[in-house]
Amino acid sequence: MEKPENLSDEKLVDKIRKTDQELYAIIIERYQNKLLRYANSLIKNEDKAIDIVQESFINAFINLNGFDIKKKFSSWIYRIVHNQTLNNIKKYKLETPLLPDWDFKSEENIEDEFGEKETAERVNSCLRELPTMYAEPLSLYYIDEKSYEEISDILEIPMGTVATRINRAKKLMKNICPKN
Amino acid sequence: MPKELKDVENIVMEKIHQGKIKMKPKIYFILGSILTFIGLVSTVIISTFMVGLIKFSFRANNGWRAQYKLDQMLSEFPWWIIIIAIISLVLGIWIIKKYNFAHKIKPWILIVGFILAILIAGLITDKTGVNDALIIKHQPMRKMMKLEPPQNNSFHRNIPKQK
Repeated sequence: MEKPENLSDEKLVDKIRKTDQELYAIIIERYQNKLLRYANSLIKNEDKAIDIVQESFINAFINLNGFDIKKKFSSWIYRIVHNQTLNNIKKYKLETPLLPDWDFKSEENIEDEFGEKETAERVNSCLRELPTMYAEPLSLYYIDEKSYEEISDILEIPMGTVATRINRAKKLMKNICPKN
Repeated sequence: MPKELKDVENIVMEKIHQGKIKMKPKIYFILGSILTFIGLVSTVIISTFMVGLIKFSFRANNGWRAQYKLDQMLSEFPWWIIIIAIISLVLGIWIIKKYNFAHKIKPWILIVGFILAILIAGLITDKTGVNDALIIKHQPMRKMMKLEPPQNNSFHRNIPKQK
């Protein structure tokens, strides 16, 4: 019989629902670091991010029967953290607006200038400067290594919009965090 | 692992052990699908009746009588079915959307499919005479299908008779 640690998220969730709630600890261990980083990139406050992650795990457990195991658990749990974070931001009115004077002058191909690896490192340090609507898809793409489709699932926006926001985020980052 | 994160795991698991947090039963989530289904079925029925009735009205008579019957149809229409349809749809979709990714179906496919389904169902109902045979016999549709306008109607009196 396969060890629970080796099971996929979806099979693990199925077991948690049917037989053993103790296995939920494995889910928490698998996701807590990633989710903390994600929540932190949105709310920009580690203490609040920890609270959000804790609340999200509680919410996810309560609603575990609502998860469709044919779909990706990771997108589902990220979506819960996303909602929890937005609720928290609304509560404390911490949303960072997009400043009107931020321009998009450069039309050059940013992809050429930022290599994938270099972009990942720079994203990590500059992410806090970006407005949430751009920071979020960028963080999911480069740091959490989610596909456009998964990001589209998590943020509930079309894939085209995901691509546009990531592109704009990279342009914004070029202005906010120059290379040297 | 940071200390705070270890606490997250302990706190959540402790709440589970103590029974402070419990999974919602599956029926709660199935309810969303049931409500959405009821809402969709009600909407299709309403729309099918509407298509059938309008076609019925224009087939039976032309001109002012058709207009009169259309007004009568609208005034006699059981609007409460629409309220049930809307409430069921809104609640059902809200429950489904909250914890699922059911929204991933492209909206234009849903809209076009829905409109086509209504039109086809309406035309089939009308062609097969199901609306005439069944619906007219039962309230509240029977009142709607009573076609003759009252003879003392002022609107009716002003129409010149054919020679």
